[in-house]
Order: sequence, then C-alpha cells, then structure tokens
Amino acid sequence: MSARAVALPGIAAALVGGVLAVQVAYGGGSFEPLRPRAPCAARTVVSQSEGIEALTERLVLIAVDRAACRLDVSREAFLLDVAGPGVRSDAEVDALRAALHDAVAQMKADDTLPPASDLVDEALDAASLNGLLEAVIRALPDSAIDAALRTDDVLDRAIDDLDLRALLADLDDQDELEARVEVAVSAAVTDSLVARVRDLI
Amino acid sequence: MRRAVAPLLAVTVALVLADSAVVTLALPDILRHLDTSVAQVAWVLISFNLVLALVAVPTALAFTWVPPRVLSAVGIAVFAAASAGCAVAPSIEVLIAARCVQALGGALALLGCLELLVAEYGERRGLAAWVTAGVVGTATGPVAGGLLTEAISWQAIFVVQVPVAALAVPAALAVRVAPVPTDRHRPAVRPHLTLALLSAALTAALFLLVLLLVDGWGRSPATAAITVSVVPVAALAARPLARLLRPGEEVETAVGCFLVAGGLVGLAIPPSAHLAWTVAPQALVGLGLGLTIDRLTARAIHLRLPRVEHAGWTIGARHVGVVVGLAILTPVFTADLEDAQAPAQEAIASLVLDAPLPAQDKIALARALGDELTAQQGQVPDLHRVFAAADLAPGVRPAAAALERDLDSQLERAATRAFRDSFLVGAGLAVLALLSVVVPRPGRRA
Repeated sequence: MSARAVALPGIAAALVGGVLAVQVAYGGGSFEPLRPRAPCAARTVVSQSEGIEALTERLVLIAVDRAACRLDVSREAFLLDVAGPGVRSDAEVDALRAALHDAVAQMKADDTLPPASDLVDEALDAASLNGLLEAVIRALPDSAIDAALRTDDVLDRAIDDLDLRALLADLDDQDELEARVEVAVSAAVTDSLVARVRDLI
Repeated sequence: MRRAVAPLLAVTVALVLADSAVVTLALPDILRHLDTSVAQVAWVLISFNLVLALVAVPTALAFTWVPPRVLSAVGIAVFAAASAGCAVAPSIEVLIAARCVQALGGALALLGCLELLVAEYGERRGLAAWVTAGVVGTATGPVAGGLLTEAISWQAIFVVQVPVAALAVPAALAVRVAPVPTDRHRPAVRPHLTLALLSAALTAALFLLVLLLVDGWGRSPATAAITVSVVPVAALAARPLARLLRPGEEVETAVGCFLVAGGLVGLAIPPSAHLAWTVAPQALVGLGLGLTIDRLTARAIHLRLPRVEHAGWTIGARHVGVVVGLAILTPVFTADLEDAQAPAQEAIASLVLDAPLPAQDKIALARALGDELTAQQGQVPDLHRVFAAADLAPGVRPAAAALERDLDSQLERAATRAFRDSFLVGAGLAVLALLSVVVPRPGRRA
C-alpha cells in the first residue's frame, strides 16, 4: 500500500485518537451529576444556625440519614420522595419516627445536645403564654431548668407527639420538614416548662 | 446580470439545503411565539425534510417533459412564496403547511438549478458548484438561523430568503438548457446508502449540539451559532487536505465517515460545559463532512443519466437520512432528558442540604428552587432567578453564590449526560456509513 493511500487514514486516526485521549484525560465521560452517597455512609452533620434552629437542623439531617439507611435508599431520594406528592407508606412514617429518636440518642451520646436552659428564651419568644407565667419561667435559674428538664426527654416527647403522617402529607419541599420539626420542638420545650411550673405551683 | 446568474443559482441551492436545519436554533422561539408543544414544533424541522425526501425523485421525472428553466423558476418562486408564508404564519399548523410547500418548491429549485449550473459551467464544474453550494448550505444553516433569531427574530430566517429567491427566478429563466436526455442509468445504491446514514449522523451532530448548547448549557442562540460555525469552517479545510494527499475516492469517503464518528464520540464526552471542549470534536465532524458529502453526491450523479433524476435520488437519500436521524434520536434524547431529572434533583437536594447556610435560608432557597423546577418542567431551569430574588444576609451571600455555581454545574452535568447516548447513536450511524463504504461489494475481489 502506498504512503499516499495511508497518509489520510493515519492523520485521521491520530486526530480522532488525540482528541478523545485529551478529553478522557481531562475527565471526559465522567462529567455527570453528583451521585448520592450510599444510604448508610457516615456523614458529618454541621449547622450554620443557632439555638433551636441549629438543634432541629442537626436532628433532622441525622434523622433523614438514619431513615434513608433503614429504608435502604439514598438520603436525597428519601427526601424527594417524602416531600413530593402522594401517600406516605407506613414504612416511611415508622422509619422517620424511629430515625428521629435515633438522632436524639446519637446527639446525646455525642454530647452535642444543648441543655434545656439554652432553648428556653427562644421557645418562650415563639410561644404566646400569659405574661405572668412567662415572667415566672424566665425568672427560673438555668440550673433549676436543667434539673427539671432533660433535652433528650423533651425531644423524644416532641417526636412522639408529632403527627408525622399528616406532616409528611403536607410538605411542600425537602427542607420544610426541618421547619415543622423546629416548631414542634419549640412547642415541646414551652409545654414541658409550663407543665413543670404548674406542678410546682 | 449575466455574470450573476450562476452565483444566484448556487446561492439558491445553498438556501434550500440550509432550510433543512436552519430553524433548529429558532425552535424554542417558535414554540413560545406560536404557543405550541415540543412535539408539534419538531415538525417544523421534520416536515421540510420529509417532504423533500419524498418528492425529490418524483419531481425529477417532471423535468423530462417540462423545460428545466421553467420548472426551476416555478420551484424558486414557490419556495420564495412559501418562505414568506412561513414568516407570517399565525399558527403552528400554518407554519408546518408552509414548510411543506417550501420543500416542494425547494425540490424543484434544487433539481432545476443542477441542470442550469451544468448548462452554465459544463458537466464537471456545474456539478461541483451544485454540490459545494449544498454542502455550504447544509453546514451553515444552523449558524445563520441562530444569528438571525438572536439578532432579529425567527421570522427573519424566512424573510431574508424571499429577496434572494425572487432574484433567482429571472436568473433561472435566463439560462438556455438542452432537453433532459431520456437515456437511463440505474441509481448507484451504495453512495446513496452511505449518504443517508451519514446525513442521519450529521443531523445528530448539528441538531443535538445546538440543543445541548442552548437548552442544556443555557447559551444564547447567537453564541451557539458562532460555536457551531466550526463545522462549516472545518468542512472548507477538508478539500485542500484531500487535494494535498490524494488518497483515492473510497479512502477519502471512509476517512470522512470515521472522522464524523470520532467527532460525535468526542461530543458525547466533553470534560466540562466549556464551549472550547466542543471545538476539536466539531472540527473532526466538519472535516468528515467536507470529505464525504460532496464526494458521495458527485459519485452518485456524475455521468449518470438523466442527471436530474440521480440528483433527485441523492436529495431523497440525504433527507431520508435526516428524517431517520431525527426519528431515531428524538425519542432517545427525550427519554434520556426525562431520566436525567431524578439524578439532577437528587444532586440539587444533596447540595442544598449540605450547603454552609443557615437553616432558614436553606428552607427558603429549597422552596424557591422547587417552584422553579416545577414551573420549568421539561426544560433546564434558570436557577439564577431564585438566587437573585432570595433575601439573604450579606454574610451568607458568598456561600449562596458558591451554591448557585455548584447547582448550575449539576444542571450542566445532567444535561450533558442526557445527550451522551444520542451522540453515541449518531456515532454508530457514522460507523454504519463507514461499513457501507469499506465492506466489499458482492462479487468484487479484494
């Protein structure tokens, strides 16, 4: 075969090979959307918020991880599923409730649960109590509040009282779960304190 | 006037063949302006190619009875009138009907112009002028359409064709042509098969690339038009290269098919959404286009009688290829775009959840992003609106800007991934075209 006959095929092969080699070398073929992590992979949860907002954000993020792990789906798929339209299955509701309790236990074990006294002011700001009762609670020393209330108990009670099926049926987006849980936690802190004060009186 | 006749006829050929893909970049504007569906708007593209494919050969038969200059003039006039009709179409149905008439006139104009150019320049030069005008038109159609849409409107694409075509009518009537001979040669099957497969592959290159650039990567039609101009520029560079190396007709065609296949694989795997990554693969496609289409067309027509009928076969084969390419690729990338939505949503959810932003800001952004995704169902959403409208504290704006960049990157990644299989199918069609060239003919010894 003459050199002239192979020159063009040779140049073409070099051009195609060169272009594809450079593209693959720079990541061609792997320019794809981020893949969700494995459902039960360990994940560090941090929050940029403060107070009850930070507590509930961490609680919900850990719980969503745990619930996804229980259901063997990715965290993102689980969230998009529960935030989307449609009926939630018993498995989803049960997994989320159990996961929220798991999250409280994990935060207690990590010693990352704040004392109840840290949450009182914010909870009272969000509540609409009568002035006298609110003044009495605000006057209580932190040590008395922390002795009367354990944060994990308050949270567990709040989780038990949550109507998760109704809450999930009404979610508009994946992060709204956090907002709803935050309201429930604030209410639980206030209700527990009011109950204790009433007991004392 | 006499000197302008042949160039005007060549420009008419380029115009008609440019119309095959000229509306590609205008489809989103047409969709919005005529308030129609994606499925319907695709017929603005398909109808022209389908009618051209179907009527090319039957139209060629008419040239045996009617003088070519008369049929050419009638065809160009019909094409011009239908172009005007497209520009003023008040509904998608009228636009599609006008495109069908445009294709009918276009078929007459294309075939007639071949006879007229041969009469003006002689067999070899006339055929070369006709083929080159067609290649230039095919390759520059999306570029011209994109620039006109961006600069003026989608209607401008059709408006600019009217005066050029109107000038070509007297030019056609001015040419004296010998009657079409009645001798008949059989159509060359193999070049037509290769042309059809290659046209299907090139449809993938041009049609999918502009869609990826505009709808997937969010570039303007003008940017997309300038970007895809690499293809015609590279196509022009192919001829000097072939003249320099003189590899032989079949080798040249086979190499062209290989380059188109390689370019399409390159377009399937860009390392990022930067436009620069499309340049080299497009150059490969352009070189392949320049080495193949004119060679195959000339081979199918040269010294075969009646010339106009064989030209009809080549036009039919090319546009059958375009329609088949659209028919194969449209469902593939539509399904892939739908499949890309779930991974894209999961990636967005993951980034929002892990973003270093206060919880309330994340909740507000997640709500707005959800609304945007719902509002732009079926299209790649514009997330910038969400971030521009978000009420964020100055301290968290850098983190929000980083999140916006990450989310945009995820959307670009999802869109690129969604187009991958379609480009690879296009590459497969080019490989089939290559096989149709290199597989020995039955009864032919190696």
